[in-house]
Amino acid sequence: MQSRSIYKIPNGKLLKIFLEYNEKTNLIYELKITGDFFAYPEEAIEIIEKELKNALLNKEILIKKIDSIVKKNQIEFIGLNPEGLTQGILMCLK
Amino acid sequence: MKEKWRLLITEKNSAYRNMAMDRAELVSISKGNTPPTVRFFTWKPRAISIGYFQSLEDEVNLDACKSLGVDYVRRITGGGAVFHDKELTYSIVIPESHSQVSKNIMESYGRICGAIIKGLKQLEIDSSYIPINDIIADGKKISGNAQTRKAKTVLQHGTILMDVDVEEMFSLLLVPNEKIRDKMISDVKQRVTSIKHILGKDISFNQIADAMRIGFEEEFNIELNKGILTDEEIELTNKFEKEFFSTKEWNHRR
Repeated sequence: MQSRSIYKIPNGKLLKIFLEYNEKTNLIYELKITGDFFAYPEEAIEIIEKELKNALLNKEILIKKIDSIVKKNQIEFIGLNPEGLTQGILMCLK
Repeated sequence: MKEKWRLLITEKNSAYRNMAMDRAELVSISKGNTPPTVRFFTWKPRAISIGYFQSLEDEVNLDACKSLGVDYVRRITGGGAVFHDKELTYSIVIPESHSQVSKNIMESYGRICGAIIKGLKQLEIDSSYIPINDIIADGKKISGNAQTRKAKTVLQHGTILMDVDVEEMFSLLLVPNEKIRDKMISDVKQRVTSIKHILGKDISFNQIADAMRIGFEEEFNIELNKGILTDEEIELTNKFEKEFFSTKEWNHRR
């Protein structure tokens, strides 16, 4: 199943998500994170997209996973945060 | 004695070449081959630049760009889509280790925007920095800015609006929902201003560049000396223009 969402991060930027996921298992098949936010280093977003492949679409699990990728890769977000990113991804669920 | 930085003025380059120049300067300055550099520039043809993370097809009306002769390019910095028309665009490239630049990204935005604010003051325009990346005058946005850090070097570029045609801008940018296009246009008209609008008269690129030069010199307590790109930077500019910024792979990558 393919889906999109647009989510304005509170006090942040506009996040646009494209998500392809398995409806039966609720696992992420493909994720594209776009928008007018800032992330340092910029390649960080591609790392997150890759590492969230096959992740379960569950709020706690996604926040924890994104938090750990952010720490591991020393990613700095501006206008975006793990909670907002998770919210944007989950808004794609029909 | 004041530290000497380089000033480049490069008018009327394509979107691809402008973005390639910024990146070439970043490489050369990261290697210590050239001093910190401030560049003032314009775009010919007019162009849309989109932020590194934006989807080109989601943000830009490619057919309208084609029919109006407007180029489009993906930046290496984050942030939003910008229509580069009647404006002065600046870039600053400086090592992250330089004492004038904070390691903290938000602080360094504020500092660099301070130079633009001092420049606008020269034109008798009062303005202030509004985080994350805007400068406002009369309560409206007059400048947008975007920063990246690569190879321990800071690149920030931004626009200073000389005049703005919101209707034309929205004919080139896509809106999430067509039903709210008119509302978005009126909202943006309420939120965006320009030097012409505030002063009630046209100010030339050269006048604004002179004011901005003073703004940077005052903010960073430096002397800006007019220079040119080095041979290494010209070679890198040609390479980045051809291999990155003018390619479909780069511009359509999201």
